[in-house]
Amino acid sequence: MTERPDHLPEYLARLADENAARFIGDGLLSGKDSVPAIALNQAAEPLPESPRWRLRALRDLIDDAMYIYRDDRPTQADAWLAPRLHAILRLTRAEAADSALWNYLALGVAPDFVVWRHRSESKKTVNARYFKGPYHKQAFARLWWSAELFRNGSDYEPVVVACGNQDMLNTVLRLDVIDHRPIAQALVGLLRREVVRTGREANALGKAVNTAAATLMYDAIAADVERDAGALRRWIDEAEAGISVQHRPLPAGPAEEGAPQDSVERLTDHFAELFAEAPVRGKEEGQAEAEED
Amino acid sequence: MKVFPYSRLRGTVSLRVDAVSVKAPEQPREQLDSRARSVTERVVALGLAETEDWETAALTVSATIPSKATEPGGPWSDVVVVAVLTDRTTNTRVTTRLVPESEGGREWRGELQVLRADLFERGVLTVQVVATVDGVPGRIIAEATDDWVVDARSDAPVREQTFDIKEVGFAKGPRWLQNFVDIPWIVNAAGRLPTVHINTDFEGMTDVLNAEGRGPEGLVNELMVSQMAADVWIAVFHSAIGELEIEDDGTPLFPYGWQGEVLREMLPDVVPDRTLEDALREVHRRRVGATGWTELQPRIQYAAMRRAGVPAALTETVRGLDKLKREDEA
Repeated sequence: MTERPDHLPEYLARLADENAARFIGDGLLSGKDSVPAIALNQAAEPLPESPRWRLRALRDLIDDAMYIYRDDRPTQADAWLAPRLHAILRLTRAEAADSALWNYLALGVAPDFVVWRHRSESKKTVNARYFKGPYHKQAFARLWWSAELFRNGSDYEPVVVACGNQDMLNTVLRLDVIDHRPIAQALVGLLRREVVRTGREANALGKAVNTAAATLMYDAIAADVERDAGALRRWIDEAEAGISVQHRPLPAGPAEEGAPQDSVERLTDHFAELFAEAPVRGKEEGQAEAEED
Repeated sequence: MKVFPYSRLRGTVSLRVDAVSVKAPEQPREQLDSRARSVTERVVALGLAETEDWETAALTVSATIPSKATEPGGPWSDVVVVAVLTDRTTNTRVTTRLVPESEGGREWRGELQVLRADLFERGVLTVQVVATVDGVPGRIIAEATDDWVVDARSDAPVREQTFDIKEVGFAKGPRWLQNFVDIPWIVNAAGRLPTVHINTDFEGMTDVLNAEGRGPEGLVNELMVSQMAADVWIAVFHSAIGELEIEDDGTPLFPYGWQGEVLREMLPDVVPDRTLEDALREVHRRRVGATGWTELQPRIQYAAMRRAGVPAALTETVRGLDKLKREDEA
């Protein structure tokens, strides 16, 4: 059984791609072996010893998620975990673009979680890309980024809605269009209105919007407000000062202004029309199932 | 060529960055001097900023569009020109509307703000011309022919990214290098930029590395550097092909950043006479398919050696050796 690491340092670290690869063997991927914690930490590069990088807060959160969802399908933990992970692990986007941090989380902090959450029932293994992989695939990066891209300013509620649909995480998260906040909010709006319900529908909607964006500039039709450097800085400073985040209530994100309501509404209506014409895959066994491992 | 179901604007849309400044909280705005921009390379190097803890950068962007766009009687109305900065590694996209410099003019100008925290390394800046066409608002009717690169860290505005060279004793170096103590260098294609780690524990390595000129050491240096470069090209090619993102329909996507650049450069030599997209699909098919990967290796080596300048370096070395021999004999 892949267990929680028997040695957990006080602070997080970075594990570069070239160092991570050798810890991802068949034994780990099949959920049999644990990661050799001492060797792993020797290969890792420590982060500054500041409260923002404290490992314990993260590990506690992950333990809590596995406890709460112990009797459910592990996929259901995503919607609970994503906003809380984002609120506890306070990063700039540039910091979050560093794969070495995510490698460390998956191998040094919680390999047991990666196995618990992503082991495929049919194949009896974990796809290695959940340990070390692109932002829309890696076990922790995908949760953090979905919280970052689907939150509406300080409001994490849209993240909970988006992560409740696996295809929003698996397919839509990697599309360029959701980098424009009113688009992300409008997609969530359609899930809320239950215009879009299933994974396949979310998948079809995301693709249709992405295709339309090749000829339409949504930023011009539905503008967003400027990014707020101060709000982000204060949010990160709080972490440096050692703020603790509660697990039970939904936390609040950086105090940024939300996406303009009229922009979101305009796009929601527009996407509803697009979706009415979009082909939804129905017959073949879709990616929705294949990707849930 | 792409076909669009509406009228597009023909002609060249060009864009320039006319000025760059950075700002830290509670400090005056710092205007970067012209060394931070290169109009020929189309690169902005924010690493030249002296304000260490700058938080936002402002780029003054101007664009020139064909006058047809705003001529009366054309198919377009509500024409706007928008500057777009994207960084795919941080999922960031910021836009700003430019304003016409004169009524009905071709020149548009505006200021685009970007947070330092939103740039991992390089952002790409372009402009798009947007209009209402056939009653549909927001249609993209044209975009800049060439984009600009906004580099958050570099202190030189150059587009091409070369590999990094790190000199380190392997025996006491990072753990993964300790496996390679008996060889002179190793290429690592994972990470931000490909890196050649040079083993300073290897006897005589430092001397050869620092050698210049036409003496024996200088000749060896030139040959060795070109060989390292070839290793880099090969390593990057393989790692980029090994980590391709694949669309649902099986189409491989070009990676971002330097891996994409390397593939675009090498593919015409690896799979000649094909479009880049076709060539990429072919290489991917050969790698994951039943056959053809082995046969492709010579072409990869060919592409890498050409780019690394191995033939020229070897010619130079041979000539240099001849010359030294003649000097000895004289």
